[in-house]
Amino acid sequence: MMRCDDIREVLGAWLDGELRQADAEEVRAHLAGCPSCGEERRQLEGLQKALQDTFHAASTSIAFDSFWRGVERRINQKRFWYEDALGWVRDVWTPPQLAWSVPIAIILLLLGMFSVENFLPGLRTGIPRNNFAAVESIDAFGRNVAVLREDETKTTIIWLYQNQEGDDESTGEKSETSSSF
Amino acid sequence: MSAFQELVSRYHQKIFMVILGFLRDREDAMEVAQETFFRAFRKIKGFQGGSSFYTWLYRIAVNMAIDAQRRHKRTPLEFRETMDGAFEEQNEVEKDPFSDLHDKELRENLIVAINGLTAEHKAVIILRTIEGLSYKEIGKILDCSEGTVMSRLHYARKKLQVKLKAFLP
Repeated sequence: MMRCDDIREVLGAWLDGELRQADAEEVRAHLAGCPSCGEERRQLEGLQKALQDTFHAASTSIAFDSFWRGVERRINQKRFWYEDALGWVRDVWTPPQLAWSVPIAIILLLLGMFSVENFLPGLRTGIPRNNFAAVESIDAFGRNVAVLREDETKTTIIWLYQNQEGDDESTGEKSETSSSF
Repeated sequence: MSAFQELVSRYHQKIFMVILGFLRDREDAMEVAQETFFRAFRKIKGFQGGSSFYTWLYRIAVNMAIDAQRRHKRTPLEFRETMDGAFEEQNEVEKDPFSDLHDKELRENLIVAINGLTAEHKAVIILRTIEGLSYKEIGKILDCSEGTVMSRLHYARKKLQVKLKAFLP
């Protein structure tokens, strides 16, 4: 059973004839015994009448010929491409879509930055890069080899050294700068 | 008369009135209504027929009216003056329905109150009051459910009621 708050929530729809028959009957029965909701109904009907009178009084008929001439002029008028583009933007970016545009723009921006960082490493994006070289492989068959590569300057450093007991100094060093790595 | 011209002649008055409900200025409403039909002409090949033609046309009109309103937002004073102009012109051909001061005050305050509504609330009030469209039809035009239309209408009317409390019977 609907309470006064529920009745007032659907009162407008009831006046508009938009409620299902069972609900409409319940509203009607409630209104018959509730002066407070009856007052609400009276106010809503007053508002509806005022709205209709206001819009009706402001209504004005427009001549078709002059209206059509305006439409025809637009159809025949040559438009620049940017006017069409602007129209398209207006159609697409209406408020609901606009709400999505912010997260989408952020995602695209992050993806773009990620792509630039990964596929165009030479291009600086202003983001601080990791400047540390990393050990890529160590071979321990007879000789020890350490390969360190640093992407920022495209520098590869290879250490060859023998690991003798009691001697832990490196015995060879080769440095090169090559774009092939 | 071309087929499109026939469509314009059938719907131009209704589309103009809906847009006038948003913009309150007849010249602006005329411009936007003509632009609406021009857009419809350009897009008519893309009209799938999923919805009725007038629903599709109203959707273009409402979007364009909201867009135009956003572009040249008018002050409440300008609204009042424009609407008064509309009333004065109307009086020349028929009796003024608001003959006493109370009704005039109610009308003026109602216009200001409508102006204060959000675009979504204004759209449901206009489509329901001017066109007498069903919730289902309004939902199709505004691309929302019937329940949303009902809720928007409820809150829009509530806001108007609060603002017009002193003037309503």
